[in-house]
Amino acid sequence: MKELSKSRINTGKIVALLLLVMLICFSMPVNSFSADNSITITGSTTVLPIAQNTAEVFMDRNPDVNISVQGGGSGVGIASLIDGTCDIADASRPIKDKELEKAVSRGIDPTANVIAMDGIAVIVHPSNTATALTEKQLKDIYTGKISDWSQAGGSGGKIVVISRDSASGTFETFNKLALDKVRVRPDALMQASNKAVATIVAKTPGAIGYVGLGYLSSNVKALFIDGVKPSNETVLTGDYVLARPLFMYTNGKPTGYVKAFFDFVLSEEGQKMVENLGFVGLK
Amino acid sequence: MKNKITQNLGFFLLFFSIITTLFFLGAIIYFISVNGLKVINWEFLTQVPRKGMTEGGIAPAIVGTFYLTFGAILFSLPLGLACAIYLCEYSPKSYVVNIIRMSINNLAGVPSVVFGLFGLTVFVKFFGFGVSILSGSLTLGIMVLPQIISASQEALLAVPQSYREASLALGATHWQTTKKMVVPAALPGILTGVILSIGRVAGETAPILFTAATYYTRGYPDSVFSEVMALPYHIYALMTEGTHPEKQTEIAYGCSLVLLILVLLVSTLAIVLRQRQRGEL
Repeated sequence: MKELSKSRINTGKIVALLLLVMLICFSMPVNSFSADNSITITGSTTVLPIAQNTAEVFMDRNPDVNISVQGGGSGVGIASLIDGTCDIADASRPIKDKELEKAVSRGIDPTANVIAMDGIAVIVHPSNTATALTEKQLKDIYTGKISDWSQAGGSGGKIVVISRDSASGTFETFNKLALDKVRVRPDALMQASNKAVATIVAKTPGAIGYVGLGYLSSNVKALFIDGVKPSNETVLTGDYVLARPLFMYTNGKPTGYVKAFFDFVLSEEGQKMVENLGFVGLK
Repeated sequence: MKNKITQNLGFFLLFFSIITTLFFLGAIIYFISVNGLKVINWEFLTQVPRKGMTEGGIAPAIVGTFYLTFGAILFSLPLGLACAIYLCEYSPKSYVVNIIRMSINNLAGVPSVVFGLFGLTVFVKFFGFGVSILSGSLTLGIMVLPQIISASQEALLAVPQSYREASLALGATHWQTTKKMVVPAALPGILTGVILSIGRVAGETAPILFTAATYYTRGYPDSVFSEVMALPYHIYALMTEGTHPEKQTEIAYGCSLVLLILVLLVSTLAIVLRQRQRGEL
């Protein structure tokens, strides 16, 4: 019993000491800890894979820099940039006026840096005679108003609609750009990856699907949308409708390690990684 | 005869309930193990994630969960214990104390995601700790505070009144009695509370979602202001934000298994500790 109580006092002292350490941390000035060799990236889940993959390779090259990558969505990213809790805000949309006002009132200067383009190609089986769709036809197919290829410039036959699961960034983009956020018909086949969509479309004569431009191959046929062929050029010029720029917002022009990171993302190698992930590079 | 049948039926139902409960426990362990064991190896436990989170390991997440749990207990144990001691040993039995008790019990019922938002507003933004171990630990600590208080309270109340009376009769002060008699005697019960809290803290996702967790980082935390990967959040992020479901789902199961094993290990350790304390008394 005596032994026990003695040892308890010691643990008590240790706990008190640790608590004191914690309190000291509490009272530390707020900004003294933001070491400038760490970069925090937050925001759009569409941009997340680009940020994560480039950060990985960038850290391999620059072992003294630590990058932390978080998702959350474009809104979360821009909000944390305004709050000063991140260095780079990923966004799959331009900043909204309201957000800009709030930023300005806090003395933050959100600067848009386009790091890639997100373009989606609508694909069908190579034997399909349809070669082009209008935006309206595409929407009608995905919402269930059209269900036969004869209504969409093909030679007839049931349309097998293939979509991505709602957690995917590609789905989010497609839903917004092509469907005005209308629900996809419930009997559409949901696939978990760009690759799975391409594989199924390549095997199914009546199928229609959509993939990031990086996933096009000779096994599938990409349709013209509103008369424009999906390609890196038409995405970059803005002629192709199913495309949007992807941003990494910073407070003012990037400097220091953040600038080094941007230089890497925008380098030929960084843009190559962007394309490998199914996006459209800027060069 | 009729009574006998009723009794047998009653026993059977009780036995059936136990079997059902054990079945669920077994099923969880079985399915997580079957899916998780495939990816678990030494590299998985000691390496950082690689190739767009499809290869490599989860070491930063294990380390992060350890720090967060440790920090939360560090914060909530002394505070919770002190509260419990005051409520049990010192507070006058009054109306106000009853209200305090009731408030603490209500705090226990607050959903964890609400604690998360609270942590975001107060620790991350107002105090300016940012998304960090400190913010996450404090948020988790506050979340388990009621649990630690009630467990400690129960343990203190379970100490026989005669211990206190004997000590006071020998001329010890109230403080000496509390420190040398009551708290040591209640320690096993308090430890049980801590065990349960560790399990809860290590597994919670919502409180750290906004306050501490990050999707991907390679470095290990160098201060309490670093943000960290954490096992529960890693599972959540892989399943919702991952871009390579085929490989990442497997990693998520691996994470679940590691988390399960870690929590079971900690619990076992603490249970052994408790048994030894009991033996000594």
